[in-house]
Amino acid sequence: MKPALEFLIKDEKVYSGALSCRGCGWSLLVRHLASILGEDSVYVVPASCFSIISGPYPLSELKSNLVHTVFAAAPATATGVRAALDRQGKEDATVVILAGDGGTFDIGLQALSGAAARNENILYVVNNNGAYMNTGIQSSTATPYGAVTTTNPGKGFKRAWPKDLMGIIAAHNLPYAATASLAFLEDLRKKVEKAKNTRGFRLLMIDGPCPPGHKTDPAQSIHIGRMAVETRLFPLFEVERQHYTINYRPEKNIPVEECLKYQGRFKQLFKPENRQMIEEVQAHTDQYWVRLEALERM
Amino acid sequence: MKKEKSQNGNGIALEEPLLKASKYPRHIQMVMKGNYAAAEAARLCRAGFIPAYPITPQTTIVERLSELVAEGKIDATYINMDSEHSVFAAAMGAAIGGERVFTATAGQGLFYAHEVLQAIAHFRLPMVVCNVGRPSIPWNIWSDQSDSLSQRDTGWIQFYGESSQEVLDTIIQAYVLTEKVRIPVLVVLDAFYQSHTSENVWVPGQNLVDRFLPPIQPGPMTLDIKHPRSFGGLLPPEHYNRMNYSFWKAMNEVENKAEEIATDFGAHFGRPYSNVEAVNIGPQTKLVLVTLSSITTTARGVIRDYPEIGLLKLRLFKPFPKEAVRRALAPLSGDALIAIVERNFLGDNEGAIMQEMKRALYGASYKMYDFFAGTGGKDVPPVTIEKIIHRAFHQPEEANWIDVG
Repeated sequence: MKPALEFLIKDEKVYSGALSCRGCGWSLLVRHLASILGEDSVYVVPASCFSIISGPYPLSELKSNLVHTVFAAAPATATGVRAALDRQGKEDATVVILAGDGGTFDIGLQALSGAAARNENILYVVNNNGAYMNTGIQSSTATPYGAVTTTNPGKGFKRAWPKDLMGIIAAHNLPYAATASLAFLEDLRKKVEKAKNTRGFRLLMIDGPCPPGHKTDPAQSIHIGRMAVETRLFPLFEVERQHYTINYRPEKNIPVEECLKYQGRFKQLFKPENRQMIEEVQAHTDQYWVRLEALERM
Repeated sequence: MKKEKSQNGNGIALEEPLLKASKYPRHIQMVMKGNYAAAEAARLCRAGFIPAYPITPQTTIVERLSELVAEGKIDATYINMDSEHSVFAAAMGAAIGGERVFTATAGQGLFYAHEVLQAIAHFRLPMVVCNVGRPSIPWNIWSDQSDSLSQRDTGWIQFYGESSQEVLDTIIQAYVLTEKVRIPVLVVLDAFYQSHTSENVWVPGQNLVDRFLPPIQPGPMTLDIKHPRSFGGLLPPEHYNRMNYSFWKAMNEVENKAEEIATDFGAHFGRPYSNVEAVNIGPQTKLVLVTLSSITTTARGVIRDYPEIGLLKLRLFKPFPKEAVRRALAPLSGDALIAIVERNFLGDNEGAIMQEMKRALYGASYKMYDFFAGTGGKDVPPVTIEKIIHRAFHQPEEANWIDVG
């Protein structure tokens, strides 16, 4: 097999030295985002792993402006930045929020809903790694059913289902929302391009690998991401206004445990007394897929 | 002989011939509520970004501004936000973007925004916000300064206005100040006694304001698309400490700068102001009342009948004008009494003004007594002021509650 000589990123828009953990999705994600969105973008970042990854003062990983803001209100700060740029005739500069799942599903949900409902001309990117990883792996409402975190430890592992953020977002009737995976980079880049060229509020939810939080081998981050899509645990789809499109249909019906088994946070599910919970995750995943297909047909 | 015409239903403007003979040239005299005076000031100052969220008794400020924007009378971006927390976060974003920002809030709204107040101040962003003071739950919408006074340590400059005229004039001065020192300013007015009470207000012409307040200039914390930077990233201890040192130095200059601007305002508009105002304070004065906001007006009326009583009005509250207070009280004899009127309760034996006065007068020999009067909007009529005076002369405690049934 010939080695691939075509690099997806032709012109790096980030500096080297991102402070992410090994196998983290953030730096790879931001490299791709920045290469498409260009230097004239303004990034708005609430408290999240990326607050740290982007570098302490006076360093910055990005070749663009970056505004750090309070945890609960990145979409509000971005609204102010957007308004200022528009008033100064800089409508072409993209305002991008980079947030984690805690800042999106939990503390920032109200500000997100507000900005989405106003259809602010902002691109919201949520790196969903399923817990408050920056503070040391505490449960969020994005944490998957059956996962262990430091606030759902041991036998107290999480027994509630994560929020359907995409459902909440779709209910805002937005011009563009999509899920994307770092294991499907061409699909991800296409979606970033599409988001860049759409006006109004856009949201991309990325499946975020996190070796320390998911208890995974850093070398397996992309493979696990691929298995999340193949097992339909993380389906790739787009929502444009009310219209759904599934972007990738796995050929085989691979059971969810083929993705869960790589992740130490789920190891208790493989104990005999908890095995039925894997079946529950499977049933939930199947139902979600059936619903997605039904939405796509509508 | 006095013909009147209505202006947008919010004020009454006098006919042109009377203007010529007016007390203040190039002004229009109008009858307006304190909230409209605040909105009018934001219009005159050409605020470019106005994020808004309704809360009684502030609401008519942002309603009026939304009307002015809808009618095309001001070139501002007006956005209905989802909370006061978001209002202040949006204000922060637009201020980093280099816009002149205005908004208004009250009580719960200011409490809710506490976190963002800190961030805006530490980003050293210029903006002016109007707060119409009211307290916290149990529900109460009436006049009380516990909201703004409990935010005195967030790094914002605070002014308290005595009248609608003063609110309008102070907002104009506050923009000059905030854009000079790059520290945000809160201008406070009293709920209902000011916000919903109509008074005579001299509204300056736009040209007059434009000459006093030039367009906003980019500052050290203004975003420039072509020169990317990271704003507010993790600041290691030495840098954080140095940032606070520079903030402290800037804050120490506010008292003088505010006084200069207030004097300059007088030269431009014919109405001079100062950080504090001393009335009848001399060697003969046996007692000085210390007041904020509209209670001052009541006290002015009362002391006319008491030649031995003086009045110290605080207009700038944060940073506390220590030097000006000391200077104002300097003519007093050593055994003069000081009676402080508080419309706030911050959970301590003393109210906020007493705490600051003690700080300012450390080492001085005046006897100071604190009088809680009028929290939760309880009226402070002349008779209450007289009771305070009486109690101050007759076995007062260090802290006293007046008219508590």
